[in-house]
Amino acid sequence: MRKLLIVFSVIMLAAFSFGGLVTAQDDAPQYAGLDADLSGVTIRMATIGGGQYEAMYDSISVFEEATGATVEIVALLDGFAIDQKLKTDFAVGAVDYDVSWNHTSFMAQYVGFVEPLNQYFTDEELAVFSPAIIEAATIDGNLQLIPRHADVAALHYRTDLYEDADIQAAYMEATGEALVVPTSLAQVDRQARFFVENGHSTFGYGMAGTEEALTGRFYELLFSSGGALFDENFEPTFNNEIGVEVATLLRNWYVDGIIAPDTTALLWDGDAQNFCNGDVAVKLEWYGWYSYFQDPESCPAVAGNFSLTRGFNGFDNAGARPTGWAGAHAFSIPVAAQNKDAAAELIRFLTSERVAYEEALLGFLPVRDDVWARLIDEASASDVPLDQVRLEVARTQISDDFRTPPLIAEWIEFSNIFYPIMQGIMLGDLEPQAGLDQAAAATRERLAAAGYYD
Amino acid sequence: MSTQTTSLPPAELSGQPVPRRGRIGPRWFPVLMIIPSFVLIVVVTGFPLLYSVYVSLTPYNLLRPDTLAIDLANPFGNYITLVNDPVFRDALLNTIIFLAVTVNLEYVLALGLSQLLARVTVGQSILRTLLMIPMMFAPILVGFQFRWFFNAQAGLVNNILLSIGLIQEPIAWLVDEPLGMISIMTATIWMNLPVTTIILLAGTLSLPHEVFEAADVDGASGWQKFVRITFPMLAPFTFIALTIRSLDVARAFDIVRIMTDGGPAHRTELIWTYVTRLAIESNQFGLGSAMALITVFISLAFTVYFFRQLVKARIVQ
Repeated sequence: MRKLLIVFSVIMLAAFSFGGLVTAQDDAPQYAGLDADLSGVTIRMATIGGGQYEAMYDSISVFEEATGATVEIVALLDGFAIDQKLKTDFAVGAVDYDVSWNHTSFMAQYVGFVEPLNQYFTDEELAVFSPAIIEAATIDGNLQLIPRHADVAALHYRTDLYEDADIQAAYMEATGEALVVPTSLAQVDRQARFFVENGHSTFGYGMAGTEEALTGRFYELLFSSGGALFDENFEPTFNNEIGVEVATLLRNWYVDGIIAPDTTALLWDGDAQNFCNGDVAVKLEWYGWYSYFQDPESCPAVAGNFSLTRGFNGFDNAGARPTGWAGAHAFSIPVAAQNKDAAAELIRFLTSERVAYEEALLGFLPVRDDVWARLIDEASASDVPLDQVRLEVARTQISDDFRTPPLIAEWIEFSNIFYPIMQGIMLGDLEPQAGLDQAAAATRERLAAAGYYD
Repeated sequence: MSTQTTSLPPAELSGQPVPRRGRIGPRWFPVLMIIPSFVLIVVVTGFPLLYSVYVSLTPYNLLRPDTLAIDLANPFGNYITLVNDPVFRDALLNTIIFLAVTVNLEYVLALGLSQLLARVTVGQSILRTLLMIPMMFAPILVGFQFRWFFNAQAGLVNNILLSIGLIQEPIAWLVDEPLGMISIMTATIWMNLPVTTIILLAGTLSLPHEVFEAADVDGASGWQKFVRITFPMLAPFTFIALTIRSLDVARAFDIVRIMTDGGPAHRTELIWTYVTRLAIESNQFGLGSAMALITVFISLAFTVYFFRQLVKARIVQ
């Protein structure tokens, strides 16, 4: 009887283990794009490199083993360098690769040089991606790219300030309203000024103030205030009263010391460092900095002392909405590619649930619903509640607030006209209206030369 | 009668190259030797230069390949645009100021340093090696290093000035005028001072001792020897150093790109940062080529001037 009991126990244990194993395997994120026989095919890829971007490419060996294809990465460059390479190759007809990097902020430049991807991916396959990104990446009905991962700016704020009872009471006394996480630009302005004027924080707000970073931040405050850079005919509209309101705010912030005195020299890293140092009370910041800010060794001043939430609405105008300047790294197939079907299989693999999940574990924001669900579920077990909050807020922003720059090939060209003038406005070299008018005239001249008004 | 007895000696015996049928004669032999170099220069330098001239006459935009054609109605459109572009004019002026101040200040410092080093009798080789260290850094690294030095919040310079009480508030070195330009000049001089110093040191060490001994006999002071002998006799080295450094500074890019990228609001814009913004980032290759060519011709004028001065100085010596 005892032997029988042992045998029964072993059988039951084995059955449970096997069942568990099967369940675990079914539940595991799955690869895609491994079914085709691509023996003898060489797929060449020109893509973004550097840092964490390259971790994804380690999984390519799985694709090669399963399909028999050989994948050659012919270019691995940072974002601006790979953009330059692609533009040059497309212009001179020197494309010798089948898969190319793409990005929602740059894709308008490549229209006509990359294949519409609707013909390679079914609606069912595309349905797992964030609809907002797919919609943003579709120009004239043609899907320009398959997204890889995304980023959007969330409102980061220091909880040691916002949850301090003395500061809350002082703020109530000074303004007559409760110190709550801001949901409007006017609130941000009032709170940022309060923090600086009362010595609670070196700077009330933080922002990068040069290159595309400044153009993008202005654009973000503009559209969240109901404004727009261009109208439907690509006529500049950023010099209207909403644009002037935003430009004046940025100028006043600079003049009054609400933002750092070297803001116009700060790019993303310098701006993030100010928050890391505990010098900034509240700011819009990319999710990509999260693990850096949470690391007590990197940022002892803010690790565990900050939180994040959805972006605020801009000034109270018609059409005001939350901020959400966003972008997604992606893959495309050049029109001149030699192995387009094989390239589609590689993209299918690189954007599969499994690869996307593994990349998301590094800190990137995913663009697939199934990966979001898995990550949020896993984060619920974390000791740090913000880990889960962060993902939930990010998912909301990616699905609801995702806003790319205007889909014009001249976005960077426009930015190079705009940001030095905006810097001049902030530094007091130009009046807001005069500066924006100057930028609008120069922009119109460029767009006219590019044939926008023919 | 044999004609052989009255003719000139055979060429083989006269030592002259033998012109044979199908062979190239002595007159064409040097030409033949030059041809490979000539072809190489044409291919490597001439063709790109001519192509740049062609592109500068077109409204070429990288995103629109069909724009790579000269607009016959307005072939000099890019040059006219540049002449009317206030940013270009400012960038040109900034470049000239940057060039003049950097090269001259660097020269004065290098001259002093070279005279001090020339008088060192022990450990001169160690000092020379130490002096070379800044040259060993990549310009891009120097740019990052000085950008950090001049950072308003965490920078070394502000921290020192604040800690000794010289300033009460952090200074935005890379933003305020003219501090941005001064910061870039400082980084550039720091990195390149050794080049000029080494050239002038080599010149100083090569000067003939007899002249100085004669001056000593005449009772000349150290300052008199420097002003009347060392400085004039260093003229060829001075012009070599100034030529090299002028050309180098005129194409300054890396350090400026990293430290300020020509900003803010074009305050530190130099020609090459503006060319990069227009041609590389904004895809306007036609306009960028026109600007680059203008800069090259200005640099060429500087070079010709310095070389003429160099030749004059050598003739005087």
